[in-house]
Amino acid sequence: MTSELARWLKPITSLKLTIFCLACAMVLVFVGTLDQVHIGVYEAENRYFKSFLLFFTPPHTDVRIPWFPGGYIVGGLLLINLIAAHLARFKLSWKKAGILLLHSGIILLLVGQLFADLFVDLESQMRLDQGQTKDYSESLYHDELAVIDTSDADADHVVSIPDSRLHNGSRIDLPIDALQLVVDDYYPNSALVNLTQLPSPNYPHLRVGPIAAAVQIEKTYKENERNLPSAAVSIFQRGQLIGAWSLAAGFPRPASFQAGGKSYQIVLQPKRFYKPFSIQLLQFRHDRYAGTDIAKNFSSRIRLLDPSKHEDRESLIFMNNPLRYRGYTFYQAGFDNNDTTTVLQVAQNPSWLVPYISCALIVLGMLIQFGMHLVSFVKRRVIA
Amino acid sequence: MGLNLCRDVHLWCRSRELVEAGSQSDVTATKSSSSSMSLEGRGFYRPWFARCKGPLAATFKDRGRRRKESLQLDRILLVFVAALALVSCNNDKIEVYSIPKKGVTVAMQNGIAGMPPAPVGNPAKWVKPEGWSEQPLTEMRLGSFKVDGSNATSADVSVTAFPGDAGGLAPNVNRWRGQLQLPPLEEAQLQQTIQRTEVEGVQTCLVDLQTPENAPKPSRILGAVLETPDRTWFVKMTGSPELIESQRQKFLNFVKSFRFTSVTEGQVPEAAGTNMPKSTNDK
Repeated sequence: MTSELARWLKPITSLKLTIFCLACAMVLVFVGTLDQVHIGVYEAENRYFKSFLLFFTPPHTDVRIPWFPGGYIVGGLLLINLIAAHLARFKLSWKKAGILLLHSGIILLLVGQLFADLFVDLESQMRLDQGQTKDYSESLYHDELAVIDTSDADADHVVSIPDSRLHNGSRIDLPIDALQLVVDDYYPNSALVNLTQLPSPNYPHLRVGPIAAAVQIEKTYKENERNLPSAAVSIFQRGQLIGAWSLAAGFPRPASFQAGGKSYQIVLQPKRFYKPFSIQLLQFRHDRYAGTDIAKNFSSRIRLLDPSKHEDRESLIFMNNPLRYRGYTFYQAGFDNNDTTTVLQVAQNPSWLVPYISCALIVLGMLIQFGMHLVSFVKRRVIA
Repeated sequence: MGLNLCRDVHLWCRSRELVEAGSQSDVTATKSSSSSMSLEGRGFYRPWFARCKGPLAATFKDRGRRRKESLQLDRILLVFVAALALVSCNNDKIEVYSIPKKGVTVAMQNGIAGMPPAPVGNPAKWVKPEGWSEQPLTEMRLGSFKVDGSNATSADVSVTAFPGDAGGLAPNVNRWRGQLQLPPLEEAQLQQTIQRTEVEGVQTCLVDLQTPENAPKPSRILGAVLETPDRTWFVKMTGSPELIESQRQKFLNFVKSFRFTSVTEGQVPEAAGTNMPKSTNDK
């Protein structure tokens, strides 16, 4: 190793950096655990662990002041520190085999999780009534404003705008037909009320139906609740107003319009993730122990349809027995409508095997390292 | 003493700057010699607190070298943070994709599945029959009840309302039929299976549906659709055929007890987010 590279690596191989990162990780876990009581698991995960920095906002201001490194910085530094330490002090010997295996397992675990967090989104849900077929799942936390070109006879072309891009006054140029979307008003969370229930006619609201209005409410972080945004949007084409609508994610009913000789739909709905295959719910079962109301089993018998892979088969999804297909995993998560609707949790994690392999490497490394120590200790005792 | 301390700190910092400025301009000439000379030998002023011994001494010794290392570390950290930031800033992208028209789903669903729920605020009252227990309201429900039968069976009763005609009578009844694995019917055929009546002057349609004979899990639905001027009400009771039969009269009495009140102005009700469906982890 060149002296120049060694000089560069030396600061980041420091054990002090390791201690610093571990101490930061302890603080993150402690503070994040306390805060998740108020903001929920998902929000706490995003704020403390899936972020670069933690921010503090002084009261009555919108200023965000970073005050502590987030999970990405702490985990990333730990990873670099570990790899750099190995590169700087690497000596291939049997005596170090256990340590090398152990640290390799830790590196693999950190890299796998970092990859999953940065490149793979997400969990979503697929809600199916009995007999219903769907080829998409929906996000639990995010919504989308979808502009759909329905003029093509073979396919609908969808432009999906994430809710993070929707703010009061946002102007978004759509990549189709010189359309521009303007967000006139946006409520991150809203409730539907009767128009006659508004405190006054001038109370801020969006009229989303003949008798329904959407009013802004506080964002919810509760586990069993979902934020339902609403928006008032306008569509322009080459500077000319095409139309204006009020949309609510609480009831994703598309509005139709014509522009440039084409027909479109616009809808605010939970973000959809389309799959190259479809799933039909044949039967949902909620079995109970005889004579009791205690649940014994939840299961969904589904039909998997994938014309591109010539797949047409039935499968049974039940507790701890998910369906794994084409990188997706479908878990039995919930039910509704008096056991006639199933809710499947859909996870996409190509690196799902990495934690198992990492743990195996760590355990093997520890066994080897402690085993070697044990053998040498016993030998010394025998000699003595 | 305070003045002496300030003087010492000032002289110490100033002498460090001079030494470092001198060593940077002539690194090759003085590198070997400076590394072997003591700090005082290099003109480095060491006040009393820098001459202390023990653990604290390490914090003051050789600050120049460690300062250079920390600068390198800062640069490395900056590069790392910038790289991660670039890699991960893909969550706000607008996505464009195509979905085949022959796909089984459409943005607009039939019946009430894609309809907005009625606004919060319940312009109807009813009389709960004896033996029905009120349940927490779940997604879109304005009323929810449970009826316990023998052999640990139970029936579920739901009351929902949607603006306008809620997609029409036929799509909604066919949706109920689909839940019992019954084939959908055309409008004309459906009308023959519906019993029409009136509740407080409101047109009401009653349906009685049951799973096919060879169904592994027999189930029955009693449904009532009430069409008021501004919305359509759906009252549905689902359970085993025997239990439904025993509760049939109570269900009809419940539907006939509906009284539609006028909406009065009031505060915007506190609204919660939409409740999620039941989880298999719930006890």
